Amino acid sequence: MFKDLDPLLHSQLRLAVISILIGSEEADFVFIREKTNATAGNLSVQIEKLREAGYISVEKSFRGKMPRTTCRITPAGISAFEKYVAALNSYLRPK
Amino acid sequence: MENLLTEKESLDLIGQMINTAKNNLQKGTAKIILFWGYLVAGFSLATWVLLETLPHETRYHAFYLWFLMAAAYPFHYMLVKKIDRENRVRTYIDGLMNRVWIGFTISILVVVFGMLIDSLIVNTVAEAVKPGHEFVRWFHWLLLVPFMLCLYGFALFVSGKAYEFKPLTLGGLFCFAASFVLLFSLHKTGVYGVQMFALFISAVAGFVIPGHMLNRKEKKYVQGS
Repeated sequence: MFKDLDPLLHSQLRLAVISILIGSEEADFVFIREKTNATAGNLSVQIEKLREAGYISVEKSFRGKMPRTTCRITPAGISAFEKYVAALNSYLRPK
Repeated sequence: MENLLTEKESLDLIGQMINTAKNNLQKGTAKIILFWGYLVAGFSLATWVLLETLPHETRYHAFYLWFLMAAAYPFHYMLVKKIDRENRVRTYIDGLMNRVWIGFTISILVVVFGMLIDSLIVNTVAEAVKPGHEFVRWFHWLLLVPFMLCLYGFALFVSGKAYEFKPLTLGGLFCFAASFVLLFSLHKTGVYGVQMFALFISAVAGFVIPGHMLNRKEKKYVQGS
C-alpha cells in the first residue's frame, strides 16, 4: 500500500524551499530565490503557503536600509519533510 | 502554476537543494580569523620582546599588556554584526561553530579571571596569614599558555574538520603539538619568554596562515554570499 505524498510538499518550488531550509538554520529570501531560480512573485506565494501550513517561520527585518525576509523550518516542517521522504522511499522501494 | 514531480525527480531535487549550503563558510569568516590571529601574534611577540628587555625585577609587568585585549572585543562584535548582515544563509554547521568559539572564549575567560582572582586576592590573603610558598602560589601561571594552546587546537581542529578546510585542521594540530612540547619546558629558565614565542608561532600557524589561505579561496568555500 503506497502512502500519500503530502500535496503541499509535492510541488517543485515548495519542495526546493523546504529542502534548502532542512539543511540550514536560516536562509533569506534572496538566497532561496537564487538557488531555486524562481521569480520573486511565485516564491513569495509558495513561501506564504508553507508559512500558513506551519512548515516554516518567516521573519521580516532590515539589513542596513534594505528589507530582509528570513525563513526557518519549524518542527512541524521537519516532521512533514521526514514523512514525505519516507513516503517517497516506499514508492521507490515497495516491499 | 505548480510543477508536479515524479518520485525520482523529488529525491534528486531534495539532494540538489540540500547541497546548496553544504560546508558553507560565511563570507567574512577569514577576516575574524585574521583579526584574532594578528592580535594574538602581535601581543605575544610584544610580550616576548618586553620580557627580554625589561629589567629583571619588573619584567613580569609585560603581561599587563594583555589587559588591552579586552579593547578588541567591540571590534570583534562589529565584525560579527557585519558578517551577519552580509550573509544570506546560515547552516547548522555555522551555528554550531559559532557556539564552539563562544565556548572557547568563555573557557579562556573563566581560567584567566579565576587565576587573576586567585593571584590578586586569595594569594595576598594567604601570604599575609602564612608567608612563603611563593613558587606554589604562582605555579599555575606556567600552565596558562599550554592550556590556551590546547583550547586553540581544539577549536581550530573542530572548525577545520567541520568546514573541510585542511589548513585550519593542520593549524589546530600545530597548536596541540606546541602545547605538548611546552609542558616539557616548565622547569627551564626564561620559560615565559619561550611560551610567548611559541604562542606567536602558533597564532601565525593556526590563524594567520589559514586566514590568508581562506581569504584567497573564499569564493570556492563561501556559498550563498
